[in-house]
Amino acid sequence: MSILYILIPIAILLVTLAVVVFFWAVKSGQFEDLERHGTSILFDEDKPEADKDNNQNER
Amino acid sequence: MHCYHCHQDVIEPNRYIAEVLGEKRQMCCPGCQAVAQAIVANGLDDYYKFRTEPANKADDSALEQTLNKLRLYDQPELQEEFVTTDDKLSVIQLSIEGISCAACAWLIEKKLSVLAGVAQVGVNASARRALVRWDPARINLSDILAAIEKIGYHALPFQPQQHEEQFKRTSQSFLKRMGLAGIMTMQVMMIAFALYFGLFGNLDDDIRQFLHWVSLLLTLPVVLISGAGFYRGAIRALKAATVNMDVPISIAIWALFIASAKATVLEQGEVFFESVCMFIFLLLISRYLEHRSRHQAALISANMSQYVPVTARLLSEGKTTDCLAKILKAGQVVLVRSGETIPVDGVVTQGKSYVDESMLTGEFSPVVKQAGDKVYGGTINQHSSLTLEVSRPLKEALVNQILRLQDQALLSKPAISQLADKVARYFVMAVLLIAALTWGFWTWVGNPDAFWITAAVLVATCPCALGLATPSALTCAMASLNRHGLLLKRADLLETITNIKVLAFDKTGTLTQGRFSLSAVHNLSAHPQQHILSVVCAIEQHSEHPIARAFDAPTTEQVSDVEVRPGYGLCATVNGTGYRLGSARLIRNKVPEDLQGCNVFLENGNQLLAAFTVTDSLREDATETLNRLSSYERVIISGDAEENVRRIANELTIDEYYAQCSPEQKLQKLQALQKQGKSVMMIGDGINDTPVMAAADVSVAVGGATDLAKNAADIILVTPSLALLPELFAMARLTRRKIIQNMCWALGYNMAVLPLAVAGYLTPWMGVIGMSLSSILVVANSVRLLNKGPRS
Repeated sequence: MSILYILIPIAILLVTLAVVVFFWAVKSGQFEDLERHGTSILFDEDKPEADKDNNQNER
Repeated sequence: MHCYHCHQDVIEPNRYIAEVLGEKRQMCCPGCQAVAQAIVANGLDDYYKFRTEPANKADDSALEQTLNKLRLYDQPELQEEFVTTDDKLSVIQLSIEGISCAACAWLIEKKLSVLAGVAQVGVNASARRALVRWDPARINLSDILAAIEKIGYHALPFQPQQHEEQFKRTSQSFLKRMGLAGIMTMQVMMIAFALYFGLFGNLDDDIRQFLHWVSLLLTLPVVLISGAGFYRGAIRALKAATVNMDVPISIAIWALFIASAKATVLEQGEVFFESVCMFIFLLLISRYLEHRSRHQAALISANMSQYVPVTARLLSEGKTTDCLAKILKAGQVVLVRSGETIPVDGVVTQGKSYVDESMLTGEFSPVVKQAGDKVYGGTINQHSSLTLEVSRPLKEALVNQILRLQDQALLSKPAISQLADKVARYFVMAVLLIAALTWGFWTWVGNPDAFWITAAVLVATCPCALGLATPSALTCAMASLNRHGLLLKRADLLETITNIKVLAFDKTGTLTQGRFSLSAVHNLSAHPQQHILSVVCAIEQHSEHPIARAFDAPTTEQVSDVEVRPGYGLCATVNGTGYRLGSARLIRNKVPEDLQGCNVFLENGNQLLAAFTVTDSLREDATETLNRLSSYERVIISGDAEENVRRIANELTIDEYYAQCSPEQKLQKLQALQKQGKSVMMIGDGINDTPVMAAADVSVAVGGATDLAKNAADIILVTPSLALLPELFAMARLTRRKIIQNMCWALGYNMAVLPLAVAGYLTPWMGVIGMSLSSILVVANSVRLLNKGPRS
């Protein structure tokens, strides 16, 4: 049982880390538009045509 | 067959076609076709693959004009008001109409990000807004707006309401407090599980004590940070010498926490840290839901306050310069071309034209204006160029007078009763009293657990589910309506709607389409009717009068020698015969008595050939919708002439109607109805409806309404159709039923466990679990509303 004396403090550290990450996420606006980013993975990166436009526009 | 872009019916198959995703697709109109082609040309056809909602119909009839108007947003005086500068880049918030799903946001972002000079684009699909950063040296704001316009959305700068920033901050702080409570609750619950059920076998005292201390440590931030809002609320209430829900909540939190902490330090007695954490977490969820529904509604209403500047073409020394209407002074001369909005109130000095004043007066037929006539800002010049002398600056224009009337009406709007708050106060007092009595009784009896029993009473009676009952149902109902094209500006509207007794409709543009169409043909000649109509259509092709749009069937007749006589009609030769077509004033033959009601006549040299009645026709779905709403008292309040209003009222079998009302009179009629103790819903679309909409208990702007009307309305129908109205009522009734169910359950549960808690059979942790289950049940019941929405 004495392993708990090590594991639980580690768990607390991890939880603190989770809270910090969560606060950062809220502060940087990650939760502002939940509708949109759920689907953004579906979209491909720029298609060849769009790339061409980019080059023309020197971006 | 449905349009691939907007899913509306295709009337002319194979006329408009665009190639999307490698296949030829049918389109309903050149607008949708152009938008689809623009999307494909930019390599953005993924939009069609992943969208979950159809796009809005792209109306391109005014695209060129709109694009030209956008130039105006480049004027520095105008940009001052809504563009901020950040490290050489300009930043703007745009509200975007037409976003229906996440794919739209992606589409706009992609389209803009390839424009040279645009540094950053962020589109928020749920708020229907975009934040754009761009380099003003490389691209104009108008080009950015035009790019959005070309793919079928309308973007305009808007002024966020002041309290919005605060809403956002509160939202973030709620999220943080909720997240913190959630994460900590998970840990504390895990430990509590071990403690209660001894999953690790028999725990020795050291471990047990260690786990108590860990729980205390993890609970501390929850009590101090997450629960802070409740204590503030409780202190505010106590300072104002009253009580609210926060008072027993705060007492319960601190009582449980202090007692558990004491037990931990003194190493004797029970701890209830998990109860404290879960209690706070669940309460925060319900508060957050409530806050979010209000935030959502506030966002929608802020989006409506778009910044649409009125522009004018100032004439001086023979040259025209574009300027903002608000800087015009009395005495200046302004040119208004055909199809443009008249910027200010003025007097015509040159030209003759038809002006559509329906948005100000409700009168549908355009009015002839010539030198010496007064014209009003906000009306539309329909026919040919007019030169005006400004008679008063925009501030004092008729439009603004109507707006002032609207503001006054808003002030006198009937207040929604705060019944729920009153009930809650008594409830809280009762809870506190019962808790105090319980403690007194058990202490007197000498029970060592008196304190825990009292804590259990406070937890068990916590109106957590009760607090969730209304906001969860309203949020779900609003989200569901939102998806189907009904925008609600306030969540509590749904409760008000169920009390509505009277529906007051505006006529022009609301019940009717707001444009002419042919309603009756009287053929007096020996020719077949087909032939007569064909002749009329051929002649009317040469007219720009709005009536001509009623005769737009294709025709092959040869027309020559056309002479347009403004205010009268046309004379023309068709296939060698001379015809005169127009109002009774143009016609030389005598018009028979029974045809006096007609407004267009056709004659040749010898005789009257035909008479036509051309009127504003009903919207297609108006009759069916009104029939479905026949259980309500229905009234038409219109500014149009008696005869037109009577005709429409008869067609819809509405008995009560008021015609020729000025905006003031409309307001009086509505207030008279309200004085009889009836709640009134006003459905309108024009500027002249705004005061009466502001005064109504609930107001609805029909799709295609003027911006001012949308601004004044509580509810906006996105599509130009009335069919959603009955659905709105159905949803409101359903929502109320859900709220009542939820409340019955929540109160019933509290009533049932109260005796158990008072009698000491319930420990705090049982109270918390019961309360959680009860809350989950309420939320689950509300969520079912999401799928119930209007038939699509």
